[in-house]
Amino acid sequence: MSATTAEPAPVRGVAATGGVRVRKTADAIATVVLWAMASSIIVMLAAFIIYIGYLGWSALTPSFIFGVPKETTAGGGIGPEIYNSFYILILTLLFTTPIAVAAGVFLQEYARPGGFRSIVQFSAESLATVPSVVMGLFGLLVFVYTFHWKYTALGGALTLTVLNLPALLRVTQEALSSVPDSLREASMALGGTKWQTITRVVLPSAIGRLTTGIVLIAGRIFGETAALIFTAGLSVTANKPYDLNPFHTAETLAVHLWYTHSESVVPDVDRIGNGSALVLLIMVLAFNVGARLIGRALTKRFTGRSS
Amino acid sequence: MIEVNARRSRRTERVAVMGLRFAAGFVIIAMAALLIYLAFEGTKTFYVDRFPLWSFLFSPEFSPDANHPGAAVFIVGTIAVTVFAIAVGGPFGVAVGIFLAEIAPYRMTQILKPAIELMVGIPSVVYGWLGLTLLVPLIRTHTSSPSGFGLAAAGVVLSIMILPTVITLSEDAIRSLPYSLKEGSLALGATRWQTIIRVLVPSASSGIAVALILGIARAVGETLAIQMVIGNSTQFPKGVFGPTAALPTEIVTDMPGTTAGSLLEHALFSMAFLLLLIAMLLIVLVRFSLRRRA
Repeated sequence: MSATTAEPAPVRGVAATGGVRVRKTADAIATVVLWAMASSIIVMLAAFIIYIGYLGWSALTPSFIFGVPKETTAGGGIGPEIYNSFYILILTLLFTTPIAVAAGVFLQEYARPGGFRSIVQFSAESLATVPSVVMGLFGLLVFVYTFHWKYTALGGALTLTVLNLPALLRVTQEALSSVPDSLREASMALGGTKWQTITRVVLPSAIGRLTTGIVLIAGRIFGETAALIFTAGLSVTANKPYDLNPFHTAETLAVHLWYTHSESVVPDVDRIGNGSALVLLIMVLAFNVGARLIGRALTKRFTGRSS
Repeated sequence: MIEVNARRSRRTERVAVMGLRFAAGFVIIAMAALLIYLAFEGTKTFYVDRFPLWSFLFSPEFSPDANHPGAAVFIVGTIAVTVFAIAVGGPFGVAVGIFLAEIAPYRMTQILKPAIELMVGIPSVVYGWLGLTLLVPLIRTHTSSPSGFGLAAAGVVLSIMILPTVITLSEDAIRSLPYSLKEGSLALGATRWQTIIRVLVPSASSGIAVALILGIARAVGETLAIQMVIGNSTQFPKGVFGPTAALPTEIVTDMPGTTAGSLLEHALFSMAFLLLLIAMLLIVLVRFSLRRRA
C-alpha cells in the first residue's frame, strides 16, 4: 500500500499509540484471541461430555443402574444411591424453597433499605461463600453431635437447605425485581392490598424465572458431595436399600462416586466410577434443559408472554 | 375469590408479613449458628488440648498422635492451589467475561451462557473424576512427576472450576457501566479494543476485583475435586508437580476415621474454622471494593 493514505496526525493523549493501522491490527488480534478463548470453553465442555460418555457408556447396564452396591465384590449397582439422591433433593427443596421465597419476598417487597435488611443481605452473602465442606462439618456438629441423629437423610437435607439458601434467595430476589412496578401499581390501584398484590400479581409473573432458578439449583443439590459425607453418611440402609425413613443413613450417588474411588475395596472401582460420573452428568444435563423448558412453559401460562 | 372484607385482609397482611420477616431472620440465625458452632469447636485445639496457635499456623509437622497437629503444610497447599487457579483461570475468565459483554454476537451468547451454567452444574466429583482419568495420566506421561498427582493437577482442575464465577461476574461488571463511556471513547476514534482496555476495564475495575475475589473464595473452599487429584500427602509441594494437601482435602481425608473429642478431630475443626474465617475475610474484601466504587 502506498504511504499517501490520508492518515490523521497522531494525537498525543490517552487513545494514541502508533498509527491507525497498528491500532486496527491490535484490535483485530484482540478480537480473534477473545473469540478463541470463548470458543475453547465450549470445545472443552463438549470434550468433557463426550469423554465421560465414552468412559461410562459400557457401564450403563440395567443391573448397574438398578442394582444394589456390593461391599467387597465386583458387580455392584447404584440403584439405592440414585434413589437417595432424589430423596435428599426433594427433602431439601421442601425446606429451602418456602424459606428462601418468603425471605426474598420480604427483602424485595417489604423491607426498607438499611438495618435489618442489610444484616440479612450480609448474612446471605457470607453464607454463600461458606465452603461446602465447612457446611458439612456444621451439619455434623448440629445433627450428629448435638441432636444425636447419627448419619441421616434428614440431617443431610437440612445441611443442604442452609447451603443452598443464599443461592435460592438470590434467584427469588432477581425474579421479583424483574417484575415491572407498573403491575404492582395497577393491582394497588384496583384496591388490592400489598399481600394480595404479591400473591396474585407479583409471584405469578415471577414464577417462570423463579422455577428456572430452582431447577438449576436442584441440579447442584443432586451432585453435592462434601456437605453430605459427614451428615448423610457413606452407606445405604442395610437390608432396605430403598428406605423412606428420613432418620436412616442415605449415601447419594455423588458421595458414592467419591467413596468408591477413595475408600472402598471393590475390584471394579473404575467401572462404578465411570458409570456414576456419566449418570451424574446426564442428570445435570436433564436439570439444565428441564429448567429452561419448565420456566418457559410457566411464564407463558401465568403471564401470557413468551420468555 | 377476591377478598372484600377489609379488616380480614389487613389481618392476613399482618400475619403474612410476620412469617416473611421470620424467614428472612432465619438467614441471620443460620449464619450466626454456623459461626458460633465452628468458633466453639474450632478453638478446642487451643483451649482444650493446649496446642499453641502459633505452632498450628506455622509448624509443618502434622502428627496428631504425637500431640503435634501443625497445619502449615495444608495452609501453604491451599494458598498454592488458589494462586495457581487464579493465575490461570482469573485472566482467562475476565477475558471471556469481556468477550460476552462487548464482542459476542447474540447467537454466541445464546450458546456460551447455557454452557457456563452447565459448568456450574457439573458436580465437583465429576470434575475430580475427569482430573483423575484424564489429567493425572497426562501429567504422569509428559512430565517427570512419578504419579501425576499433585499441585499442578489440582491447580488446573480448580482453574476450570472457578471460570463460571469469574466470567459471569466480570461480564456483569462491564455491562453495568454507563453506555456513554463507550460512546465517548469510540467517538474519539478509539478502536473497540482500545475502548475495552483503556476505558471499560479500568472503569469496571472494582467489579472485576469482586469477580476475582469470589473466584478465590470458590477455589479456597473447593474440596472433593482437588482431593481426588492433589495426592493427599502431608508435605510441602516439591515443585509445581509435587503432591501435597490443602485444608479442605485434609479435612475430608481424615475426618471419616476420627474419634469424637480426639486431638485430630479438634485440629480438623480448627482447619474448618480457619477456612470459614478466610471466606468471611473475602466477603469483607468484596464489600470494601464495592464501597470504593460508590
